[in-house]
Amino acid sequence: MSSRSGSTREYETSSQSRGHSASPPVPESSETESEGLIFYHMDLYGSKERFDIFPEELSGREDRSLGDTRRESVLSSEKVQCSQEIGYDMEKEVAELAKMYGLDEDKEKELELLGGRVEMESRWPPARTKKAGSQGSTYNASKSSTSVKDQSQSTKQQGLPGEASQDEDQSKTRADDEVESNRWSREGLRSGGMSDEWNSQAVSEEQEEEEEEEVANVFCSTCKIPIRAFDKLFGEHKDHEVTQLPNALESEKEEIHKNIFLQAAVTMVDRLEEFLKQEVNLELSTLPDFEERVIDFSEVEQLMNSINAIPAPCAPVINPQAPNAATGTSLRVCWGLFSDDTVEGYQLCYKPVSNERHGDERAEHTLKVRETYCTITNLLPNTQYEFWVSALNASGISPPSERAVYVTAPSPPIIKSKKIRSCENAALVCWESGDINPVDSYTVELYKLTDEPNDDTVTESIVGIPNCEVLIHLQPTQRYHICVRAQNLGGSSERSEPVLIHTTGTCFYLNEDTAHPLLAILDDGFTISCDELENPECDLPVYDNSFTRCIAILGSLIPFPGKHYWEVEVEEDTEYRTGVAFENTPRHGHLGANNSSWCMRHIITPSRHKYEFLHSGMTPDIRITIPPTRIGILLDYENCRLSFFNADIAQHLYTFNSRFQHYVHPCFALETPGILRIRTGITTPPWTALL
Amino acid sequence: MALKQVSSNKCFEGFQKVFEHDSAELKCKMKFGIYLPPKAETGKCPVLYWLSGLTCTEQNFITKAGFQQAAAEHGLIVVAPDTSPRGCNVEGEDESWDFGTGAGFYVNATEDPWKTNYRMYSYIKDELPKLINANFPTDSERMSIFGHSMGGHGALILALKNPGKYKSVSAFAPICNPIQCQWGKKAFGGYLGPDTSKWEAYDATQLVKAYSGPRLDILIDQGKDDQFLSAGQLLPDNFIAACTEQKIPVVFRLQQGYDHSYFFIATFINDHIKHHAKYLNA
Repeated sequence: MSSRSGSTREYETSSQSRGHSASPPVPESSETESEGLIFYHMDLYGSKERFDIFPEELSGREDRSLGDTRRESVLSSEKVQCSQEIGYDMEKEVAELAKMYGLDEDKEKELELLGGRVEMESRWPPARTKKAGSQGSTYNASKSSTSVKDQSQSTKQQGLPGEASQDEDQSKTRADDEVESNRWSREGLRSGGMSDEWNSQAVSEEQEEEEEEEVANVFCSTCKIPIRAFDKLFGEHKDHEVTQLPNALESEKEEIHKNIFLQAAVTMVDRLEEFLKQEVNLELSTLPDFEERVIDFSEVEQLMNSINAIPAPCAPVINPQAPNAATGTSLRVCWGLFSDDTVEGYQLCYKPVSNERHGDERAEHTLKVRETYCTITNLLPNTQYEFWVSALNASGISPPSERAVYVTAPSPPIIKSKKIRSCENAALVCWESGDINPVDSYTVELYKLTDEPNDDTVTESIVGIPNCEVLIHLQPTQRYHICVRAQNLGGSSERSEPVLIHTTGTCFYLNEDTAHPLLAILDDGFTISCDELENPECDLPVYDNSFTRCIAILGSLIPFPGKHYWEVEVEEDTEYRTGVAFENTPRHGHLGANNSSWCMRHIITPSRHKYEFLHSGMTPDIRITIPPTRIGILLDYENCRLSFFNADIAQHLYTFNSRFQHYVHPCFALETPGILRIRTGITTPPWTALL
Repeated sequence: MALKQVSSNKCFEGFQKVFEHDSAELKCKMKFGIYLPPKAETGKCPVLYWLSGLTCTEQNFITKAGFQQAAAEHGLIVVAPDTSPRGCNVEGEDESWDFGTGAGFYVNATEDPWKTNYRMYSYIKDELPKLINANFPTDSERMSIFGHSMGGHGALILALKNPGKYKSVSAFAPICNPIQCQWGKKAFGGYLGPDTSKWEAYDATQLVKAYSGPRLDILIDQGKDDQFLSAGQLLPDNFIAACTEQKIPVVFRLQQGYDHSYFFIATFINDHIKHHAKYLNA
């Protein structure tokens, strides 16, 4: 049920600091509602005390029947107590009443009093009666009016329950008359309490009357009042149905209906009239004055017809988003009710947060919920939603709570598996967000695969990654699964599809946007082909980053220190260039013709194969008797070397000794129609070691 | 066989020594240089044989080439014999610098008066390794050979005529095709007689054509400014063409600006040491 959270602070504070007399913390918006509605002023029953809507003790429980039996039992004790009060002096009465009305902090007393002290309103100014039915009935908010002399009953502010001022006044005037106070509790206002209140009230009235007489011990079903057995025999109730009081009470409990109230009110007024007209042996400071006239209850009836005899609730308080309350498509929203209002359900509204001034009204959703929590599904990931909730009961709907913003968890990112670079010791992984809106950070999870099946434990996590890429250090000759999750305030996304990384050797991919227009990349992503050489400087569409003269392409940067090895497969009759280049190698130039690239070149002359090892346009004069078809390339950042091998026969061909100031890209070019296949992920062969 | 140490100098934590012995093949006293790397003190090492060129003795290589550092690093014993028998008093042996003394051409002479002493092929192939293996901490299974000029020719023919004996072979400015060049014709004519068919057995280019055996990996460095290259004495193209045809792996490097001297050798000796170490230490 409703929970006491911080949001009820204001209520508790107000009741504590000002007792029950200050303005109750009813939400502003409820004022208009409450005016027309539900707070009957107690004058109808004679009880003027009004408790705080939110007494500390009582949470907003809806079980009103609890009070019934308690009231019954308390009532009997109260009877005794009240009878003793007659004759006390005024001051003491005031103090007593103050306590009874909960003006101090005595909660127990409050409960006790709530238990059903029925206060007889000895003074019933017709004016007030009339006003009871009107919207204008209000209570005087000021607690200060403790002076009891003033009999005039101004209209009481309806939204001020718990005000004791007028009540005080009236009760004090009746101090001598004071027998019992029937506290019309809030519970009484809600469903279920009314008839009981009435019952106890009626009983206590009877008690009052019968201070001097007998206790009412039967119940007239016809008139719906308890009466003395004597009355049954001899009074107006002669011909009426009577039942035993306890039975009657039970039956009355079942009749929680405004007409009963009305009837009771009417009857009570009549009785009151009767009572007051009787000669009673009571000391009154002033004479009660009951103007006999017809009391028009039509307005009351009308009022009652419009409501269910209980007030509409106060606004609930919506909780901020709790951790783990969100998934990518759902949110668990919680709220609380910090009043004793009777609530039958809640209405939860939400819509996505948008930047438009006039939000898309169609995007607003409404749900009816019975509990104080709800899980909303079918939401968009990484999206903020505004939630607000109202409480409902038979009388209507509360004002909406404040709006809380919840955010769904993000979608899992998507790893760019074709763009992964790795070597024996490290990997560079990049991905893209699964959502359009930005997320807060990413988390990368590593699973080192072992031979045991289902070994799915994360071996390492890297959190707080701000961008969509990460460099991870790994062990050689291992297999890893790598996943990425996105994080936002709502929590963590599901993990992305994993990628598998074998740290067997260096892996890179081809940078398509550097490819010369005549160079095609085949489907495997690692084979390049050239079909024709015509117009190498033609008008084919060119990217800013692509080669224009040399029919070349760059591989991705190899950003890891140490040694890296890969192989290039060619046909014997393919003329090619292959090696490494800096990122800024001129796209209008040829590989090896400048100082930003190094490559091995194979061309065929009429007499023989010719091999060049080009850098800055220069090459040593080298003859190779066996044309390699599988070229091994060893890039050694550490020892400043770039070596070429005939991998088929482990023959070293040539080594550039050059300090690489930057990381380099592998580069490949074709000079005749043909294909060139690149192989990566190869462990560096031992025969390359000794150089 | 008794070895007499002639000299010993510590070098790169190893020792460059010279020994002398009585050669049965050559019927005279012969000296050789031997570098023992630091590793040889504690274990067996592979052996790399160096064959020097015309006019050289056992001294040129060990004093001029600067190989000891690389040899020490890779743990190789390097043996550098003399280029011909000495003090045999064969008539005519000192008449020219490119025939006779200091110009053994690594053949077994069949002609008089040379055939008694001038058996450098057998000396290098059999006697010397036996002597070295008996007297030094060698791994007798691991042997390689290289040389310069005439020694290059010698290294090539020994490797080609003895498949599997040497793990690797390399050469500096070798005489690749002696039967086609002046030096070769003079030497083979004198040592082997006029029958040129007998010369082919000692011609690398010829031997390649008939080679069958474990795959070789031949590294050749040639100074581009080598006067003998331009004089047509060396003829590497012939050798390369033959190797290309026979699919014998060769990397031939023509080194711009370098001549035929030990300065050229010193420049590239490390590459050769590493080339051999790759196979000897594998």
